[in-house]
Amino acid sequence: MPARLLDVSVQRYRPELHSEPYVISYQVPYDDSTSVLDALNYIKEQLDGSLSYRWSCRMAICGSCGVMINGIPKLGCKTFLRDYPKGLLIEPLAHFAIEKDLIVDMSVFLQHLNAVKPYLIAGKDTPGDKPMKQTPAQMVKYQQFAGCINCGLCYSACPQFGLNPEFLGPAALTLAQRYNMDSRDAGTAQRMPQLNRPEGVWGCTFVGFCSTVCPKGVDPAAAVNQGKVASATDFVISMFRP
Amino acid sequence: MSYKPELSRNWWLKHHYYSRYMLREATVLPLLFFCGCLLGALFSLTQGEACWQQWLMFMRHPLVVALNLLALIASLYHAKTFFELFPRVMPIRIAGKTLPASLMIAAQWAGTVFTALLLLVIIGGMI
Repeated sequence: MPARLLDVSVQRYRPELHSEPYVISYQVPYDDSTSVLDALNYIKEQLDGSLSYRWSCRMAICGSCGVMINGIPKLGCKTFLRDYPKGLLIEPLAHFAIEKDLIVDMSVFLQHLNAVKPYLIAGKDTPGDKPMKQTPAQMVKYQQFAGCINCGLCYSACPQFGLNPEFLGPAALTLAQRYNMDSRDAGTAQRMPQLNRPEGVWGCTFVGFCSTVCPKGVDPAAAVNQGKVASATDFVISMFRP
Repeated sequence: MSYKPELSRNWWLKHHYYSRYMLREATVLPLLFFCGCLLGALFSLTQGEACWQQWLMFMRHPLVVALNLLALIASLYHAKTFFELFPRVMPIRIAGKTLPASLMIAAQWAGTVFTALLLLVIIGGMI
């Protein structure tokens, strides 16, 4: 049986040749198991070797192959051509500067991640040389928020980040909340000044699309808005401190 | 040289998810009108009976009734979205288990209906 062909349009941008992005359409053979990443690999190997895009694990773990598919941020490896019988348009992740073709500059996102110190911070009760124990009940509190793979889809879904790139954004605020809720962490006081800023949790207006597009079911909108409760509590407590 | 696309002014029309969000936020507009009506009532009370009767006449105007009906629908829609978001913002854990979202949503609606009925009884009792 001859392979079915699908019209796959890809937004291209080659700064050395063009000043603005443009769209090229490719005919890609596919079956029920062909992912968007497979289609990009086919285009690069068979049709146009100049196409640039990021990918690594092809199993929704590395978070490298995030692209816009018909305007919605998705992982290329987790999206299948069979679901787009009328064809599809692949564009680079929205709200980021485009470096080349489907490759965006994610340094803003990485700066925001870094700003919230997304790692366990030791306190005076932290045992230096012994394992830090945690009960299942303590772990379950933050477990959902720990599933983030830093793919950046939530930033492309967030109009607040699109309007103001200074906004720390869904993933960074989720990780801040994830570590603040961790019983082994003593860094909440260091993270709160970042969360309390207008560009912190209060920059979020609960559009909620970040949670819809998250490929790992993290629900960043919930984490950010739980961060608002934490920020408000922090403010009230600070009023009573000498 | 990287290319930075600008977010267009009509970004919220490009996906129904964004449009629904804007609709939720826009519910404040008819509610502003309703609040204006209430403030007008307070002001007219301070100006004597003639002014109060004028305000009552104003409130009976079909356009005002329609706008206030719209405000009621808008506030109910906003309540629906708010109640559905609430369990995600403030999950309640009892004995290690998270309270189901459906139960929290139902409890909020029950509270709304109870408060509305209570107000009806109090105001109805005064009339």
